[in-house]
Amino acid sequence: MTEQQTPDTGAHTSYVPTPVRRGFSWSAAGESAWRIAVPVVIALLVGAVALLFGGANPLEIYGMLAQEAFGDAARLNATLTAATPLLFTGLAAAIAFRGGVFNVGVEGSFGFAGLAAAVVGVNVGGLSPVLAVTACLLAGMIAGVLVALIPALLRTWLGVDEVVSTLMFNFIVTGVTAWLVQSFFLAPGQANSATEYVAPAAELPALAPPGQLNAGFVIAVVLIVFYGFWIKRTKLGFEFDAVGKAPRFSLAQGLRVRTVLMSAMLISGAIGGLGGAVHTLGVVHRFSVGFSASFGFTGIAIALLARFNPVGVIIGAVAFGALAAAGATVQLFVNIPIQLISILQGTVMLLAVAQFAVPRLLKRRRAEKNTEVAA
Amino acid sequence: MIDSIINSTLLLAVPIVLAALGGAIHRRAGVVNIGLEGQMLVGAFAGIISSAATGSWVVGVLVGGAAGAVAGLIMSLVITRLAANEIIVGLGFNILVLGVVGFILRSNYGVSGTLRFPEQPRIPKLTIPGVSDVPVLGAVLSGKDVLFWLAVALVPLLAWVFSNTRWGIRTRATGANDFATASLGVRTLAVRDVAGSLAGLLAGLGGVALALGVSGLFNENMIAGRGFVALAAFYFGRSRPLPTALACLLFSFFDALQIRMQTNSVFPTELIQTLPYVAVVAVLAWTGYTTLRRRSRVAV
Repeated sequence: MTEQQTPDTGAHTSYVPTPVRRGFSWSAAGESAWRIAVPVVIALLVGAVALLFGGANPLEIYGMLAQEAFGDAARLNATLTAATPLLFTGLAAAIAFRGGVFNVGVEGSFGFAGLAAAVVGVNVGGLSPVLAVTACLLAGMIAGVLVALIPALLRTWLGVDEVVSTLMFNFIVTGVTAWLVQSFFLAPGQANSATEYVAPAAELPALAPPGQLNAGFVIAVVLIVFYGFWIKRTKLGFEFDAVGKAPRFSLAQGLRVRTVLMSAMLISGAIGGLGGAVHTLGVVHRFSVGFSASFGFTGIAIALLARFNPVGVIIGAVAFGALAAAGATVQLFVNIPIQLISILQGTVMLLAVAQFAVPRLLKRRRAEKNTEVAA
Repeated sequence: MIDSIINSTLLLAVPIVLAALGGAIHRRAGVVNIGLEGQMLVGAFAGIISSAATGSWVVGVLVGGAAGAVAGLIMSLVITRLAANEIIVGLGFNILVLGVVGFILRSNYGVSGTLRFPEQPRIPKLTIPGVSDVPVLGAVLSGKDVLFWLAVALVPLLAWVFSNTRWGIRTRATGANDFATASLGVRTLAVRDVAGSLAGLLAGLGGVALALGVSGLFNENMIAGRGFVALAAFYFGRSRPLPTALACLLFSFFDALQIRMQTNSVFPTELIQTLPYVAVVAVLAWTGYTTLRRRSRVAV
């Protein structure tokens, strides 16, 4: 008998099926709002300290950032454009985490797919736009899956911890893409390492022409909505949830743990890859070294903050997109280093998974109070 | 040619060995330290600023190490006391450190990226008279600085400490099974915090070695993934001091070789740089395979 080995995801809890809630739960919404608010507020405070240290008024700068992010249609367009890759990477991370695998290799899938889409995009000038775009997106998804494949196999069949292997694959992909660009796909007459621009047929159409917002945004939102239904309404979606919450119990119950782990990794890679392809076709139109501005890592922060909730992923991606878009423009007329954005983002990520602490402290205090009463 | 490769291999290995030994301590206590990269950067930054301000390289080494230790402690506190996932905390920590350092560079020093002081003190190299002229031996032993000898001394010292002292055994016990260890009355969270601070201290010293030993200036991108190579090294060496240090030597040998070969590039630089990471995946796969075989043999 080939028994499936116990996947160790560090969860020591047993899965307690909760009754299906109909309607909207205010307490759950309040709890998740609290979870998100704590790291965000702390991040804003840390950023404020940095701003005061640099001799600027934090309130003024934050107001300016909000104005630059959502002030008018053009700025909103830029914000949503910046949010598009994050929607994909956030969703990719959320799906993997939901299935109990900690895929930190979305960054690698994103980059490798960006190159694949660029290479295909250069060579599909003769095709009709629909075919050309489809071919590029497909190439991107395949590339994304390839990056996730080895860690997925190692995880499912040898029980190798996927966190470190996927992290390593990010660096491997950085090196391999740089080498591929340098030796095979370098655009002629270019000083920096970049491929040629993709054929016009392979570009994703812009939604509001002067702005860069493109059809990729729609693809991302559709995928996230689909994810929301899929996780609640399908068999595999249920298994994802169960395996993510209680792998050993799921194994004992005869759920397809290996299938879930494998598909969680590969779907995550595919969506990360789709994001990379969309970023190539929609925004930069080519692949260059430094293609991904840590989109994969920001996506992890978003997925964790949102607790894998689809609406939360959208909100988180738009928030981080706003920060990136507004930070870039504010820097132009106020002398504020763009590193402020990294400070905010890093603090949020540092604390994104630390929120358990607050309820835990409260619980302990409550327990202490109870014992006092009893005594 | 050989002498110069040996020399640059050892020179490049010092920062990585220090950081990797720190990571190995933390790993032994049960925490995978992804923040080594950021802690090295903190050490390098603090080392450069403090040594340039005081004109003394000793101050630079001490302050750099201390700053790394504080950074390591902060990161460890988030992991232990706020029960956060170490990987995410580490990734966030690296981004945060890069942001803070970049912010200070621009707002307080008005430079974008590179910070260079005219009177920058460097860590002096100790030339051993008599040995320095012997071909290979001279390159190995002579012209090295204090941090090199510290790294060399730490390898046997750590191995001894892990197997023979109360602290070493408690640290390893915490890493092996923190529930069981806690049930015996060991304060496992405190053990992990100490290990995290030591990891930060050594990574900080690694950063100082890079800034004051190798380059003599500061750049916000100067760590360039060395923290992750250190991570690769202690995975490769399974957190034992000697194999970890040897892994660092192997990786920095490739690094040195690649710098030499850049002119006649038979092996593409970009691919050679991925070797440490490929090695880690291979080691992980091999470890997984052997554990699986052992487990199934027991089952039979």
